[in-house]
Amino acid sequence: MAQPLVKKDDDRDDEYEYSPFLGIEKGAVLQEARVFNDPQLDPRRCSQVITKLLYLLNQGETFTKIEATEVFFAVTKLFQSKDVGLRRMVYLIIKELSPSADEVIIVTSSLMKDMNSRTDMYRANAIRVLCRITDGTLLTQIERYLKQAIVDKNPVVASAALVSGIHLLQTNPEIVKRWSNEVQEAVQSRAALVQFHALGLLHQIRQNDRLAVSKLVTSLTRGTVRSPLAQCLLIRYTSQVIRESGMNNQTGERPFYDYLEGCLRHKAEMVIFEAARAITELSGVTSRELNPAITVLQLFLSSSKPVLRFAAVRTLNKVAMTHPTAVTNCNIDMESLISDQNRSIATLAITTLLKTGNESSVDRLMKQITNFMSDIADEFKIVVVEAIRSLCLKFPLKYRALMNFLSNILREEGGFDYKKAIVDSIVILIRDIPDAKESGLLHLCEFIEDCEFTYLSTQILHFLGNEGPKTSDPSKYIRYIYNRVILENATVRAAAVSTLAKFGAMVDSLKPRIFILLKRCLFDNDDEVRDRATLYLNTLGGDGSVVETDSEVKEFLFGSFDIPLANMETSLKNYEPSEEPFDIDSVPREVKSLPLAEKKAPGKKPTGLGAPPSAPTSAADAYEKLLLLIPEFASFGKLFKSSAPVELTEAETEYAVNVVKHIFDNYVVFQYNCTNTIPEQLLENVIVVVDASDAEDFSEIASKPLRSLPCDSPGQTFVAFEKPEGVPAVGKFSNVLRFIVKEVEPSTGEAEEDGVEDEYQLEDLEVVAADYMLKVGVSNFKNAWESMGPDCERVDEYGLGPRESLTEAVNAVISLLGMQPCEGTEVVASNSRSHTCLLSGVYIGNVKVLVRLSFGIDGQKEVAMKLAVRSEDESVSDALHEIVASG
Amino acid sequence: MLLAVLMANSEGNILVERFNGVPAEERLHWRSFLVKLGADNLKGVKNEELLVASHKSVYIVYTVLGDVSIFVVGKDEYDELALSEAISVITSAIKDVCGKVPTERLFLDKYGKICLCLDEIVWKGLLENTDKDRIKRLIRLKPPTEF
Repeated sequence: MAQPLVKKDDDRDDEYEYSPFLGIEKGAVLQEARVFNDPQLDPRRCSQVITKLLYLLNQGETFTKIEATEVFFAVTKLFQSKDVGLRRMVYLIIKELSPSADEVIIVTSSLMKDMNSRTDMYRANAIRVLCRITDGTLLTQIERYLKQAIVDKNPVVASAALVSGIHLLQTNPEIVKRWSNEVQEAVQSRAALVQFHALGLLHQIRQNDRLAVSKLVTSLTRGTVRSPLAQCLLIRYTSQVIRESGMNNQTGERPFYDYLEGCLRHKAEMVIFEAARAITELSGVTSRELNPAITVLQLFLSSSKPVLRFAAVRTLNKVAMTHPTAVTNCNIDMESLISDQNRSIATLAITTLLKTGNESSVDRLMKQITNFMSDIADEFKIVVVEAIRSLCLKFPLKYRALMNFLSNILREEGGFDYKKAIVDSIVILIRDIPDAKESGLLHLCEFIEDCEFTYLSTQILHFLGNEGPKTSDPSKYIRYIYNRVILENATVRAAAVSTLAKFGAMVDSLKPRIFILLKRCLFDNDDEVRDRATLYLNTLGGDGSVVETDSEVKEFLFGSFDIPLANMETSLKNYEPSEEPFDIDSVPREVKSLPLAEKKAPGKKPTGLGAPPSAPTSAADAYEKLLLLIPEFASFGKLFKSSAPVELTEAETEYAVNVVKHIFDNYVVFQYNCTNTIPEQLLENVIVVVDASDAEDFSEIASKPLRSLPCDSPGQTFVAFEKPEGVPAVGKFSNVLRFIVKEVEPSTGEAEEDGVEDEYQLEDLEVVAADYMLKVGVSNFKNAWESMGPDCERVDEYGLGPRESLTEAVNAVISLLGMQPCEGTEVVASNSRSHTCLLSGVYIGNVKVLVRLSFGIDGQKEVAMKLAVRSEDESVSDALHEIVASG
Repeated sequence: MLLAVLMANSEGNILVERFNGVPAEERLHWRSFLVKLGADNLKGVKNEELLVASHKSVYIVYTVLGDVSIFVVGKDEYDELALSEAISVITSAIKDVCGKVPTERLFLDKYGKICLCLDEIVWKGLLENTDKDRIKRLIRLKPPTEF
């Protein structure tokens, strides 16, 4: 680098010409490898050929099985040479060629000989090669030597055996576990690396033996650890012991904390970071414990080495998720990192600041981020967009600034994933912050004016169709939508036609104008666009005058498509063109995928357009339609709630059954989703026999058996109960699956004519108070609480007894009431002794309910709770107290 | 696990590429990702100055040494700090073998020795030796001096 640039370039030209591997070609090198077979070996030449082979392998070149075998056999001849340099190359190339099991035998005797050689370095290398290519049977033969090697005086031999042990533990754990005495001895070695490798292996051998790990940690934290690498391992194992042992209850001190804190003053940065991370990750860490670690990390934020800055900001970023206030002190240092050349560091700094900032610093921060966004890659931008979305949900009053920021970056250059992240964020903000709706929709409209991604355009048009008509001035969106019909490709045009129709259906005053626009679409050159326009003109009916749209038409336009798409596809494929038109009612509505899709849903917030806010209700819609199709249940009235599926069988049993509880004012319907997993069986007349003797308020009034249940084609059977109107009756039901089983001939798939009656015991099912509560959130709890007023408020205090933690108590009450936690209050800060949780829901009879729960926990882990309920009906407020009192 | 060690010349051509526990179908992706990372960031960087990046839960530490860019990729216990240790060992071993900061030609001349050094430093994804003097002896099958 010190040479003048020009000179260097000249050099390079020469060098390029003479590169030792110029024009290297696999076939030629394989030819050259024949020198390995020469009776008079030339070590220098052989080493050169091996180097060429290594070069090829390191370039990603592969050898065919025959080529590899040929080279390998030739290489084994080289054991005859006594040349040390060549031998070292031979060890390496054998590992790289990784011969197959049947070839290994050729070299094992040579390697075993080297393993017992008096030359230490032959021993070390032979161990490494043998362990790389060996299988279990050979391992038992060499085990004795390996155990000796672990305690060999030569550290290289010992390390070779120990590292081999770490690898072999994956494939032959029972053999390696027998070496623990030797490994234990090696942990005490004076050689730094031997201790490091031995510690790693010993921990892996004993990781399931808590007591042994604890003893190991106790002795080493008091003894000498000879290398920073080993010290890092020890810190990791110490945190594991701390996690498993918990607080020392007598003194209230955390065992080993002093050791971790001491490591913060170690001379190796690696150890300092490991200790700081261990402290920040302690469960229930107090601010007193956290402070020394944060101070050390803060110092590293201004280090001249990028790796240290990165490590510090990465750790603080994690801390900010759980203890934002602890990181606030570092904000000034963090702000200077926004301009760091390393974009990973800058992004981490930004996202940390977004987590730790308060409402007043948002505007200043946004200004800084704006400059920063233009010169980072999309992947970093996505992280920032997600952080801004969370910030906006945290400070809803700041939506204007944050929404503007999102719309600005939406206009700039960017790839699909980035744009999708922004659009998703805007959609979520529109959903959660009602005030942001109109401006958000306009931003999206402006975006589709110049959007290169068909997928995003169609998704936005769909969303606009659902939300736009409900705004104060729906007409202002029409221009943006119709522009799509004029300017875009057929997919977007078709989506725009559907959106226009939705506006027409919902906003009667716009209907005449929508009609004119739809009529223009009849001349589109794409048949899908024309078909949609024709369809909507007909369904909206009339001649385009200002009339109210039928509810059926609205249902058609806005209702969810309740037929599983897979079923629809199968039916369409099976349909043969004939005089008889395709009948959509003939498509089976077995909701095979529904329980599965719902199982994944809990805990996962619907994200943006991918899962629009209407998703949960659309599942309910699907259920409602399904039940309406059954004549016995048609008179039950409006469905209030459908529960998530409850499994009544263990996983992977012959018959899988889960149940969905449908709650009506006067009735409860159990929908049993059954799957038969035995190909040799066909089940018929499937019904669940329910014993309701432990549910006094319920009386069975109807049941609907499932006629036939072939393998892997789920079906449903239903049982309905009557219950007192509006009363949240609870009870326990025991269930038996009863059916006629028929043998199926596997070759033909035909079932025998005669069947046998059989039964299958299912788990019990309970109807609980939470089944009468709909999870419905409110965006601003404080406003909702105040506007509900104290008229029907009921307040009382409860002792919840000893609990494992405050989190556990909070979760128990939330699931008992079955309500929606608001504003993230279901999360309890890890070391707090009190917590307030806000819940919202709709109780049976469509009564809105709000709950404010205040928890406190004392030293004996006794939890006390104050429950304040406000609702539109005082009897409902009382009912909630009863639920808690009896739960 | 130390997932990969990759060395490339200044044009982005691969000189050494060693993966551990990375599925074959992902290797090409990693190769182009790393080469691009180097092209974007290594211009004007001083020899042996360590740069860092992360991609999901995987860390990358990289640097330049003469004509050669060096990348190490790791996850879990091989975080940015452990990788810095590993890459420092690799750079000092290369300098030692080449006798100075290598040009591409010098690097290729010493290719066999460099492969042996790497073999001593990283063994199937685990860091084995960290001392350059010891490594220098080991590749000549000489026992370490302290022994």
